[in-house]
Amino acid sequence: MVESLKLPKDTMLGAAIVTVTGNREAFIENYKGILEYTTETIVLQGKNTKICFEGSSLSIDYYTNEDMKISGKIDALRYL
Amino acid sequence: MLHWIQYIRGYVVVRVWGYSVERLLNLCGNHDILVWDIEDHGDYHTMRMSIAGFFALKPLLKKTGTRVAVLHRYGLPFFVSKMQKRKLFVAGLFCCILFWSLASRCIWDIRIEGNYALTEDVLMEYLQEQGVHTAMKKSDLQIETLEQALRKDYDLITWTSLQLRGTTLLVRIKENEMPVYDEQKSETAAGGMDLVAEKDGIVTYIITRSGVPLVSCGDSVKAGDVLVSGAIPVYNEDTTVRRYQYVKADADILLRYTKQVSLEAPVAYEEKCYTGEKLDIPVLGAGSKEITLRLFGIPYDLYDTSEEKKQVKLLDHLYLPLFYGQKTVQEYEVAAKKHTDEEMKALLQEEWRKNISTLLEKGVQITEKNVTIKKNDKKWVLYANMQLEESAVKLLPTEAEAVEVPEEEQQSDQTRAVILKGGAWERLQSV
Repeated sequence: MVESLKLPKDTMLGAAIVTVTGNREAFIENYKGILEYTTETIVLQGKNTKICFEGSSLSIDYYTNEDMKISGKIDALRYL
Repeated sequence: MLHWIQYIRGYVVVRVWGYSVERLLNLCGNHDILVWDIEDHGDYHTMRMSIAGFFALKPLLKKTGTRVAVLHRYGLPFFVSKMQKRKLFVAGLFCCILFWSLASRCIWDIRIEGNYALTEDVLMEYLQEQGVHTAMKKSDLQIETLEQALRKDYDLITWTSLQLRGTTLLVRIKENEMPVYDEQKSETAAGGMDLVAEKDGIVTYIITRSGVPLVSCGDSVKAGDVLVSGAIPVYNEDTTVRRYQYVKADADILLRYTKQVSLEAPVAYEEKCYTGEKLDIPVLGAGSKEITLRLFGIPYDLYDTSEEKKQVKLLDHLYLPLFYGQKTVQEYEVAAKKHTDEEMKALLQEEWRKNISTLLEKGVQITEKNVTIKKNDKKWVLYANMQLEESAVKLLPTEAEAVEVPEEEQQSDQTRAVILKGGAWERLQSV
């Protein structure tokens, strides 16, 4: 149905959008919450899945209810 | 831009530690509390949040079992509350701004460039007369009119440029390199001028260039007598005066007169002997008041005082009414002495020489002199009887002499004047 109506998938499915710029910055929209936050790992809760950033000296530049910006050296991005 | 908004609204840096910081962050997101720059320091986190957010944090902290401490406060709201404790400082700041904004509306320095023959003092005085001085308002300055006035009042100045540079008025002029001669026609315009004797005497020399000489060599005249008249009579055929032609009288005239001079010098005199004792007293002054920085009086009976004062000035021309300097007091003793004969002679001769040189400077010729010196115990007196020659004359406007001219004649004169133009009329007059 989503396909046929050509509605944006993130709003309909509640899927998170992750934009990674190089390995220094990540911009996450449509997440639900923060599960873990250390300098090595940041785990975010999506609707159906968890998003895990691994790296070093990670920090959250800012976040609101909808979006968040992470900066630092990102080594891996995993969906759990 | 974002930084400015953050600064104006104010924010705090807080340290958060406890059981679950992540949960606190989630709750913050849900409660619309703005949090940014979150950093993990191992056992605690630091983050920045708005002031409103910080106050809304309390129930969340209880819920999550975390604790918070403010590390730094940034932004305008904190600055203002800090400044409220320092009212004098803020007042001073405002006064400073006010002072500068008022002061920058005035001229504080006047500089003159390009003047060679005209001294700076002369131009400064002229500017002062025109109402241009330091500490005047810039808006009162009319550059265009001042430039024109400068050119008009000084023939020497051929080009002017006034410029305001900040609070400095720059006056740039160019002077005429060719010398300017006074034109002499102004005096002949109205009426004539007579040459009048300034002193009583005998005329010894007279050569007239223009005007009618009324005296000749050897005549004795009194002060105020007209020597050369500026009214040249034009005669009718029957030798009655038709009218007068007025000119500026010009003549070389020498008047001889005698003059007695007596010079005296007392034999006894008092000599000041400085004892070498002196005091330097610093002086401070404001306006006409003066303070000498000395607690005790001056311990001398007789003393000379000399003072050296300096005025406080800002820039080059802005003098403040404040002085500083020092007073030097020198003690002296008086010794009564008498001049020797040689000294007396020298003294009188010196006086006499000065007297003569002032006469010579005035252009007076000395034709005869008779000098005698009378001496007594108290003083010497020099009597001189001199015969002098001097061109003691001055120019005075001619008193117009009324000539009765019959009306008919006047009319016919005019009609003739119309017919006989230019040179013909002149010829007619000279007949």
